[in-house]
Amino acid sequence: MRFKKLTALCLTAAMVASLVGCGGKGTSSTDTDTSDSGTTADVAEVADTGADTEEGEEAQPEVAPGKKGTIEFWTVFTGADGTSMQAMIDAYNATDPDYTVNHRAMEANDLYLKMPLAIQSGEDVPDVCINHVERVPLFEEQGFLVDYTDYLDGSAVSKDNYNPKAWSMTELDGGHYGIPLDVHSYVLYVNMDLYEKYGNGVLDDGVLTWDEVRSVADACVADEIIPIGMAWLRVKFLASYAQLGGTLSTDGTTPDFNNETAVKVLENWVDLSNSGYCQKEGDDSWQLFLAGKVMFCPEGIWMYNNVKEAGLNAKMFDYPVFDAGTKGNWTSSHQFVLPKNDSRDDEKTMAVLDFINFMGNNSLEWAKAGQSPAHVSIKDVAEFQDMPQAFVADENEELKIYSYKYYGYAVEALDKVLGEVLFGRMTPQEALDQAVQETKDQIEMSE
Amino acid sequence: MTGMAAGRKRKLTPYLFLAPHLLLFLIFFLIPMFYGIYASFTKWDLFGSPQWVGLENYLTIFTNKESTFYRQFWNGLKNTIIFVIICVPFQVLLPLIIAILLDKRPKGRNIFQGIFYMPTLFSITSVTLTWLFIFNRSLGLFNHMFGTDINWYGEQPWAWITIVVTTVWWGLGGNLIIYVAALAGIDRSIIEAASLDGASGLKKFWYITVPSIKFPLTYTIVVSIVAQFNIYGQPLILTGGGPSESTFVLLMYIRNLAFGTGKSVAGMASAMSTCLGVIIGVVSVVQLIMMRRQED
Repeated sequence: MRFKKLTALCLTAAMVASLVGCGGKGTSSTDTDTSDSGTTADVAEVADTGADTEEGEEAQPEVAPGKKGTIEFWTVFTGADGTSMQAMIDAYNATDPDYTVNHRAMEANDLYLKMPLAIQSGEDVPDVCINHVERVPLFEEQGFLVDYTDYLDGSAVSKDNYNPKAWSMTELDGGHYGIPLDVHSYVLYVNMDLYEKYGNGVLDDGVLTWDEVRSVADACVADEIIPIGMAWLRVKFLASYAQLGGTLSTDGTTPDFNNETAVKVLENWVDLSNSGYCQKEGDDSWQLFLAGKVMFCPEGIWMYNNVKEAGLNAKMFDYPVFDAGTKGNWTSSHQFVLPKNDSRDDEKTMAVLDFINFMGNNSLEWAKAGQSPAHVSIKDVAEFQDMPQAFVADENEELKIYSYKYYGYAVEALDKVLGEVLFGRMTPQEALDQAVQETKDQIEMSE
Repeated sequence: MTGMAAGRKRKLTPYLFLAPHLLLFLIFFLIPMFYGIYASFTKWDLFGSPQWVGLENYLTIFTNKESTFYRQFWNGLKNTIIFVIICVPFQVLLPLIIAILLDKRPKGRNIFQGIFYMPTLFSITSVTLTWLFIFNRSLGLFNHMFGTDINWYGEQPWAWITIVVTTVWWGLGGNLIIYVAALAGIDRSIIEAASLDGASGLKKFWYITVPSIKFPLTYTIVVSIVAQFNIYGQPLILTGGGPSESTFVLLMYIRNLAFGTGKSVAGMASAMSTCLGVIIGVVSVVQLIMMRRQED
């Protein structure tokens, strides 16, 4: 009797639990990690990437091991960039190395869950991974990554061969924890046809100030052209804020970006929005830009293929500035990191560095995917110099890379409030206070 | 002896049939569920070992008005409940009306039924993306066709309307086929008799149709309510939780806390989802009890 009751209870619980579970299933496919290179805040993009993941994973057959085995390489390249990455890896494997490289691409969010889990369990630990540079400080602090310093001496990988800014961002606690593959910046796209008509030569000096945007905006608005598109607000905030010398946290731990500098950035937006100089709320500025209805539209360099496909006459410039002297583009970087794994011997680690070096020296393919490779050799390639994002490769201080340990919390908190500020439902101070409070609470909870 | 053995065997057989499901249920539901409840009493980043904090997470959610988590939980719960309240009536009434119309056996009945059922087969992502494009402000079908300039995702009540329309359209077919089947099961002679006695259409519906399909009706209401408490994909894709976090539903907060961009706050997320689970559980049990009463 008792057993019967117990079974009945179990079944009832099963029914309730499966009901509870219903709605949750299948929703994970809509994960939004906007920190991935291939995605913007535009959800359509995110969904695209999701679809690509499956293809990406299926399309990668196991590679026959080299003389000594394989290097397991995990990346976040699930979109079109995954194809370029695979082509580069195939080229490396074709050189008949001791260790062939086996590529596994996965959604960025998945990688950031799976990598630590693998390291902790010690099973199926990848030999080398791609991480976004913002992720590295926290993983380093959690003890998941191996210091490159000891291996660099005996290898061809050298600091001098890389974009200095991208290299220095992974100098942590006296060690070196990442080798940059690329830098990818958030820049300004200009519709050159519209610029001819309305631009009044404001870009003659190669840089656009916010005042210049205002000076040409009314003429655009009169003809129903949107002067400037304002989407993916978190990086717009971070770019301007960094130009003005702002940091997310002064002491590296406690967030304090609810200050006057940050307010200044947001007040500029409110003014643009109130003047009717950006798109109306609910409009997708990038789609409108592609349709030729927006003159200035900031976006990531990796979105250039969209522009090409749309057949738009557009060029890339540095992100708009307050003062022509201080340029600054929000930038991230894909970095090769070495997950901690006791069973990987030094010989194999050196083989990994050899692979990384090869990738650096043969990065034209990566540039074709819209990225700006971090290895200096790319600057000698004539084909790269003709690419619109080439100017990013020469930049250093202009590249604003955030390395705040709790970057993830901060940007998610900012995501919730920045749109409210732009469209006048929150004051800049209120919004920043809420975002800082939320970041603080999350930090406290995670410690 | 043999009789007893046979008896025992007979008793055992049903459980053997149940065993595969029970095993899967144990591994994929019950154990994770209890682990989730355990996690809600801890501070945990998903990787390290959970650190026991007792009721702290719950106290934060329920009492600490200064905390972000308090604000997120109550705002998320409020929005979820608002959604359930406005969505479920449409989810029940609209398919019911269509089912009644289909029950009149119009020409092309099967085609219509097929069309209405089709959206149910698509994934939430593709359905929501379709509506995302329809409601796009400048390039979307709706504003274009009707010459309106409605900011669908950025202003209330439009944001809720888009979410509800999408959800109702997506889920219409599921309830519809249940109602169609139930209506087909009603004995026509009762309705004929009522007609002969001069009952009006509305009276026939209220006194004959509704009582006859009482059970499927209650069942669909329960299932719809539970399903809508789990809303996540539609606001995530359509509105991103805006404007002013007014469509930011509880599951979105939970997901962000546990699997967001930063280090995971899984303990707090578990506490919130345990609360949601309890609420859904209570609602379902109450409705199941009501259903049983109706049967008696």
